[in-house]
Amino acid sequence: MKTFLITTAIASALAVSASAENIGVSMSRFDDNWLTVLRNAISARADASDDISVQIEDARDDVARQLDQVKNFIATGVDAIVVNAVDTSATQALTDEAEAAGIPLVFVNRMPVNLDSLPDSQAFVGSDERDSGTLETIAVCDQLAAAGKTEADIYIMMGMLSNQAAVQRTQDIHDVVEAGKCAVTLNVIDKQTAEWQRDLAQDLMTNWLSSGTPFDAVISNNDEMAIGAIQAIKAAGISMEDVVIGGVDATQDALLAMAAGELDVTVFQNAAGQGEGALDAALALARGEEVDRTVWVPFELVTPANMRDYVAAN
Amino acid sequence: MTDTTHGIGGLTFDASKRDWPPEAGVAIALVLITATFEILGRLIYGESFLFNTREGVDGLFNTQRLQVIILQVSIIGIISLGVTQVILTGGIDLSSGSVVAMTAMIAMSFAQVGDINGIPNSRAVFFDSGWVNLPVMLPVLVALAVGLCAGLVNGAFVAYTGIPPFIATLGMMVAARGAAQWWTAGQPVSFPTESYAAIGGGMMPVAIFVGLAILFHLILKYTVYGKHTYAIGSNEAAARMSGINVKRHKLMVYAMAGLLTGIAALVLSSKNLTAQSGMGLMYELDAIAMAVIGGISLQGGRGSVLGTVLGALIFGVIISGFTFLKLDAYYQEMVKGGIIVGAVVLDQWRQGRAARKM
Repeated sequence: MKTFLITTAIASALAVSASAENIGVSMSRFDDNWLTVLRNAISARADASDDISVQIEDARDDVARQLDQVKNFIATGVDAIVVNAVDTSATQALTDEAEAAGIPLVFVNRMPVNLDSLPDSQAFVGSDERDSGTLETIAVCDQLAAAGKTEADIYIMMGMLSNQAAVQRTQDIHDVVEAGKCAVTLNVIDKQTAEWQRDLAQDLMTNWLSSGTPFDAVISNNDEMAIGAIQAIKAAGISMEDVVIGGVDATQDALLAMAAGELDVTVFQNAAGQGEGALDAALALARGEEVDRTVWVPFELVTPANMRDYVAAN
Repeated sequence: MTDTTHGIGGLTFDASKRDWPPEAGVAIALVLITATFEILGRLIYGESFLFNTREGVDGLFNTQRLQVIILQVSIIGIISLGVTQVILTGGIDLSSGSVVAMTAMIAMSFAQVGDINGIPNSRAVFFDSGWVNLPVMLPVLVALAVGLCAGLVNGAFVAYTGIPPFIATLGMMVAARGAAQWWTAGQPVSFPTESYAAIGGGMMPVAIFVGLAILFHLILKYTVYGKHTYAIGSNEAAARMSGINVKRHKLMVYAMAGLLTGIAALVLSSKNLTAQSGMGLMYELDAIAMAVIGGISLQGGRGSVLGTVLGALIFGVIISGFTFLKLDAYYQEMVKGGIIVGAVVLDQWRQGRAARKM
């Protein structure tokens, strides 16, 4: 009798969990601020509904670990998988695993290299990375032109060179110049990586400043590095009025720097929008509904004129 | 026997058998590397690395560059002072980088301002009661306490369970990173009070680093604590036989390293006006590398704080030099790797020669 009761209890517990939809999420890394907003948006959306349960894993920037996590999700029998790819050029293996198991897969934020050949049960939710650097560079150019300059000397701060976003956003700067979309002539004094990090950017900027070369703008691949540059420039006693600083992400710290008149340009990438979009796409695919192969969540330009709209957005 | 410099003997400690102290070798390397950048800079760009060639600026030296050379290594340098002591006992500490992140996150939460430009600080709501604008001593004490605790845990495992220091501190490295992320679910903690921001403002990191370096140089050279540290690293069994409480001393050394890591976290988060769970990545390896370049033997018992400071300066010169020459970061890392291995090879060779001279 006792055994029977326990069995029934287990069976009913299983039945309850089976009726809820289980989504496995593999994030490239937990300690990235922006990805944390995305991750928290996924958990918040799942917590709000009793029918959805998500399990989020940290791939710690390791391609092999991410593939193992996806395999584990498949073995557990989740209803759908969301992947924030560690390496966008190594996504074919993830696609193959999920397709073979017949489990829907949604890539979020980082565009998989095999986007054009994704099966119907898979999709990509994210922003077009080409837009971020382009919006940023054009806005910096416009501000330089508005300050009455026709020619400008700039520094470029790059993110981690193994990340597609860093490479793309840096390429965007050159593309904008070549396409003649920049209102002034840009001369790049130097470009270096500060690995997305504020402390490294602070040191890099101080090193640049020590050469005494005059400059008009710093175009940074993200806000954290832009803030590091600002802190170094302020410490050197240069007026923030005289230089234009551009970043990407529209983080809280960045918006505060913008309110203080230090940061001039940033680009908002909708982390919560991407997280929720990815979860929605995964749920729809799990229910057998049709989802567009690519769901774009657009980048938005943020300048002091419209920054109020973005406070508390990311 | 002629007079020995420190420790409890062993042939490499006989000062008369050595043609120059190991620190002199490191200092020569520092001068050579600096000179290389100076010459390359003049050849390629017609600019000086160390001297002032800018118009409208007074002074013989490029003071801004001299400042950043040491500023950019002072925080890891502070950690390295603790790591040096651990390595002197024959141990290793891999947890520093993660402990920096954990300590910074926790301490910064106690250093929040009430409002930012008139808007209430939304991140400070972390403590529902609104723990904001607290006196600066509180976050400082919290940082010291968290760092010290992490060090005590490391030390207790190393001293009393007998597991290798590599494993004990590896565990702490993983666990502390997890704790740093857990503390705010990965959200960064920014916007400290002005008095907190002053701790790492301007050249304060350098002042703290130099002050601590002098302090620990004196401690290791002239106190019982220092003599025991060298004794354990030179020959642990002999140290135990001569009545040193090896276990308790190891606990103290790891606790000291933790405390210094706590100070580094305080300075770092204050300098950057933010604490983030991803902070301090690879700091442990840079700290170990500084010590090793500075002539601290990984076998324990040999080396000095002065060597570690010189090792840190070599790091700083390399970072600034490569940016000065506008070379990519790839080359910087490759050269750094080469120097780490080169320093140890040179040290081995010098030791072998000293032994043959007996």
